[in-house]
Amino acid sequence: MEIRIRGLTRDYFSEGKRIRALDNVDLTIPANRIFTLLGPSGCGKTTLLRCIVGLETPDAGEIAIGDEIVWSTEKGIFVPPEKRGLGMVFQTYAIWPHMTVFENVAFPLKCRNMPMEEIRIRVARFLEFVQLDGFENRPATKLSGGQQQRVALARALVAEPKVILFDEPLSNLDAKLREETRKELRRFLAGLNITAVYVTHDRVEALALSDLIAIMRAGRIVEVGDPKQIYFRSGDRFVADFIGRANLIKGKVAALEGSHAVIETDVGAIVGLNPRGIEPGTEAMLCVRPEFIRTEATGVAGGRNLFRGKIETLLFIGEAYEGEIRIGDTLVTTTISPTVDVVEGGDIFLSFDTDHCFLLPA
Amino acid sequence: MKKLALLLLSVVLVPCALASDPTLAKKEGKANFYANITAVEPIMDAFSAANGVKGVYVRISTTKYLATVMTEFEAGKLEADLLQGPLPILQALKEKGVLAAYRSPSAAGYPSWARQDDTIVQFGIEYVALIYNKNLVKSGDVPTAYKDLANPKWRDKIVMPDPSSHATTISWLVGLKEAGIFANDKEWRDFLKGLAANKPMFVNSFSPTPAPVESGEKLIAISMPKYIITHPQAPLDWARTGVLLGTPRGVAIAAKAPHPNAARLFMDYWLSRDAMKLLADKVGEYVLAPGVFPPIDGIDKVKVVPIRELSDKEIGSWGKEFHKIFFAR
Amino acid sequence: MARKSALTPALIVIVGFLTISPVVMLVAGSFSEGFGAFHGFTTAKYVEAYTDPELSAILLDTSIFTLGSAAVATLLALFLAYVNTRTDIPFKFFFGIISIIPMMIPHILFSVSWVLLLNPSNGILNRYLMGLFGLKEALFNIYSLPGMILVEGLLDLPIAYLIIAPAMSAFDVSLEESSRACGASAMRTLTRVTLPVLRPAILASAILVIVKSLASFAVPSVIGTPGRIYVLATHIYRIIATGFSPDYGKAAAVGMSALVASILLVYLYRYLTSESDRYVTISSRGFKPALIDLKGAKYPLLGVIGLLSFVLIVLPVLVLLYTSMLPYIMVPDAKALSLMSWKNWGEVLRDPISLLALKNSLMLGLVGATLGVILSIFVSYAIVKVRTAASGILESLSFLSFSFPGIVIGVGFMWFFVRTPLYATIWALLIGYIAAYLPYGIRPLSSAFVQIHSHLEESSRVCGAGPFTTLRRIVIPLLIPGIVSGWILMASMFLRELTLSVVLSRPGTEVLAVQILRFAEDGLWGRLSALGIIMIFISSALVAAASLLGKALTKW
Repeated sequence: MEIRIRGLTRDYFSEGKRIRALDNVDLTIPANRIFTLLGPSGCGKTTLLRCIVGLETPDAGEIAIGDEIVWSTEKGIFVPPEKRGLGMVFQTYAIWPHMTVFENVAFPLKCRNMPMEEIRIRVARFLEFVQLDGFENRPATKLSGGQQQRVALARALVAEPKVILFDEPLSNLDAKLREETRKELRRFLAGLNITAVYVTHDRVEALALSDLIAIMRAGRIVEVGDPKQIYFRSGDRFVADFIGRANLIKGKVAALEGSHAVIETDVGAIVGLNPRGIEPGTEAMLCVRPEFIRTEATGVAGGRNLFRGKIETLLFIGEAYEGEIRIGDTLVTTTISPTVDVVEGGDIFLSFDTDHCFLLPA
Repeated sequence: MKKLALLLLSVVLVPCALASDPTLAKKEGKANFYANITAVEPIMDAFSAANGVKGVYVRISTTKYLATVMTEFEAGKLEADLLQGPLPILQALKEKGVLAAYRSPSAAGYPSWARQDDTIVQFGIEYVALIYNKNLVKSGDVPTAYKDLANPKWRDKIVMPDPSSHATTISWLVGLKEAGIFANDKEWRDFLKGLAANKPMFVNSFSPTPAPVESGEKLIAISMPKYIITHPQAPLDWARTGVLLGTPRGVAIAAKAPHPNAARLFMDYWLSRDAMKLLADKVGEYVLAPGVFPPIDGIDKVKVVPIRELSDKEIGSWGKEFHKIFFAR
Repeated sequence: MARKSALTPALIVIVGFLTISPVVMLVAGSFSEGFGAFHGFTTAKYVEAYTDPELSAILLDTSIFTLGSAAVATLLALFLAYVNTRTDIPFKFFFGIISIIPMMIPHILFSVSWVLLLNPSNGILNRYLMGLFGLKEALFNIYSLPGMILVEGLLDLPIAYLIIAPAMSAFDVSLEESSRACGASAMRTLTRVTLPVLRPAILASAILVIVKSLASFAVPSVIGTPGRIYVLATHIYRIIATGFSPDYGKAAAVGMSALVASILLVYLYRYLTSESDRYVTISSRGFKPALIDLKGAKYPLLGVIGLLSFVLIVLPVLVLLYTSMLPYIMVPDAKALSLMSWKNWGEVLRDPISLLALKNSLMLGLVGATLGVILSIFVSYAIVKVRTAASGILESLSFLSFSFPGIVIGVGFMWFFVRTPLYATIWALLIGYIAAYLPYGIRPLSSAFVQIHSHLEESSRVCGAGPFTTLRRIVIPLLIPGIVSGWILMASMFLRELTLSVVLSRPGTEVLAVQILRFAEDGLWGRLSALGIIMIFISSALVAAASLLGKALTKW
């Protein structure tokens, strides 16, 4: 089901100050996709999620899930969360400690007055789906974190809602389990005909899991796009910086070259993609991610996007070096293959991949 | 002159017209008796048995008495048919119009000072004496006069109600002065100073005074002889110190008594010799019915005198005065 | 949510009506020229009350007394609760009961017991110690500030225990484990992790005890007055006792300082625990706290606790049993032994008023505590989970009549009830009890609510359960430890309630404490002790039943 949000605003009052958690948000979440709300903490993503699910009331605006308006300030509509027919996985999993695994998962069905026989079959099916078959009578408190997470998922899915919401469900797991669960979750969701809204502050999680990502900042949606779009062709400096490590170099567009443009910077002239079609003569920003900067031991004079710099710091992080290279007054971060023979203080040539660096508005 | 005659006539006639009618009283069924006097259940039972009208005993402590009665009265919910309490409280109630006039024939033999009032009849005296532990105090040591209590041998051995706040005790100490028990004001003050120097242990009222004497924690108390009757097995006796003083206890009928006939019937019974005998025998009260005494050795021979009624203002200022004497550091 | 916003005002109206009405009467009385509630405006009573040169000394003693009692009660409760819930010490059930016994004893009896044990003239314990060490002077004098603090602290121990123990047992053990894993010692873990996380419960208990002891009358009157130590409650009593037309208005004017102090304390508490999320401890992980293996310390610790509970709690109760068999109070000797009999017990059990009082009190305890807990659940929910400015008002309201010194608040309730048709009925007692002792339900339930993560109920709403189903299926089952604590506190309080009963009880609605007070006024200590022990038995039975029921319902 599609979720449409119009003009959603929500203010908080904390110690006498007004804080705008949601600032006139317009957003359409397409049906049957995994949609992620990504942003730093305090950007309003969780508030937005809680407004969708009905745990919080916006101050203004309208929310529609499918054909039903569930919140409208204008029309005075408020559908309480239990009537919205959604599923949700909480950050803390919110497994009820006084119930067994079965009772936890059966709860949404009992609330819908399903016959006991059917409940049993349905719960068994979903426990199997999350690979917890045989855990029915286990007290919820005797589960590991990963198992609780899967109980929470089964409980959110068991009533076969058209929309499921996730509030940072992986943040309480350790790094290794988080990666596994992420993959698993993607597999689970891909097999279902369901709209998933996923909140996280972890960019890797967002990139790996989502069909679409909306980046939020200070109560506003800054940009929406699929992971690659966001990563490679963002039109916003904040997004470009937030979604991955990025070197942002300021300059002025000198000339257009088809889909590319030349930008004059302190480092020199750089050629990069120009997805936004920024006109020559305007101030712009070039974004180049460290993994798309190649290092060359010797420079071929006059080569395009090739610069000479000095290694300021070098940090060995296992799969690569992380280096800070000074070119003139500009400091560029890059990853250097551990096989390359480099030393701190030494000279190095850097080459920016023309197809993987891009211009965005200043 | 005419008015006076009318007034006199009404004083004579009204009480007669209102004499109790036992059949009506029976129809009314019960009489509510608001009282601060304790342990009167035997009298209530005897009344109920003799008259077929239930006597209901509503016990209210002295400190809450006036507040309770006035609150109910002002809200029009005073359930009391009869009100029994210390004379000063009944006087206050009379001034507020809570009480009705009634002259019970049973009061006929009472001393005249006890029934000067056409409303309140004084039927007893809440008498105070020095009560000691007869097992622990040698007979030679028992005080024979109030001033003996100032003797330093009683240091840390006395228990008494707080003389700076307990109204009856304040009145009693003032009464000692005014009854001429001490030759002059100075002797009385010396007695107070001596008593204070003996560091008596203070409690809130008379009721906690006998326990420390019984247990031997203290040897002597400014207390009430009635405990000798109500605690028959305890080793208590009273010191023959001459005249005993106490606050008069009064009783009156409520102006808006819900059961007026039963009320008058109860009043007649309460003031009767039978009831007063029960009160003296079972509760150890000093009563004013002629010839009735509590069965305490020697009480029939001692003079028991009512203390002059002190206003609350007087009690307050004497309390401050006694505070200076007894709480001096 | 829309419904939440309607809940708080509705509760403010209910709780406000119950608790403000008597207080408003008293405020009116304190500004009134007459001694009733409304007779012309004057501030003379305040001027008179607060220019009393003695007042500053009284306030100082009052502060020492209340803070001391709170410290004694809270520290003892922390110790007992920790040992009882977190270690593998044997006889837990027994120590759990011991910790709440003082709550079931009429305060006046407990105080008298201690006087018999520790008075400087012939206190039983003092004499024993003098004989043991060959001393000339008594070792202890109960008639002193430390004596008052000890007895009041012990009497309030159950309040502290019932608030701290559930918090302790619901404690998320992973917090402690992670501290230990970080290399912190057991002691450091206790002081840096365990106690700070328990801060809301500790503060709640300390504040409740302070407010409670501020209003307490039995201990200051039985122990303080003989020692010539006056606190606010006895100071107020003196104002009332001096004269035959007691001025409850002036007493109320003095009582206002206790009221103001209590309200400030409530706000202080809210301020200190304002970041409620920091203290959420029930999630779902590692819910069952692991028990600490005491190893070699087990039996020495058992000895310490055993001795402590014997001297502090069992001994005073034994003194009661002893006096219940005597015709009058005496020091144990051959003569006392020869006079011992069950006569007092027989008289109490044959006394129709005592039996009626027993029946009424039992009814009030059972019904009152149940209704009180139900109201407390809603109020605590509004206080903890809704947490608007209005819920702060609600929390202060719930403390209003509780914090007023007892002698005065009873009259306030009388002034209020006399204007209703409930006056002189048992329903006035029922409603008065709930109104006056609401904090006994609210405090343990708020502590319990604080520990339930809001996600647990939110997920139920999302799963399709309405607010009522969520309350019934999720919130209440998780609250059971708090509900049991609140119910026990209220039921045993109502069984021995005196303050309101003494003003509101009439023939036919006699209750136990009023009968006890009458025995005390008549100096019938034997019957008094017998009835007191009967009360302890009934309360213990109720407490045991409630605890067992609670345990059966708490599967986790």
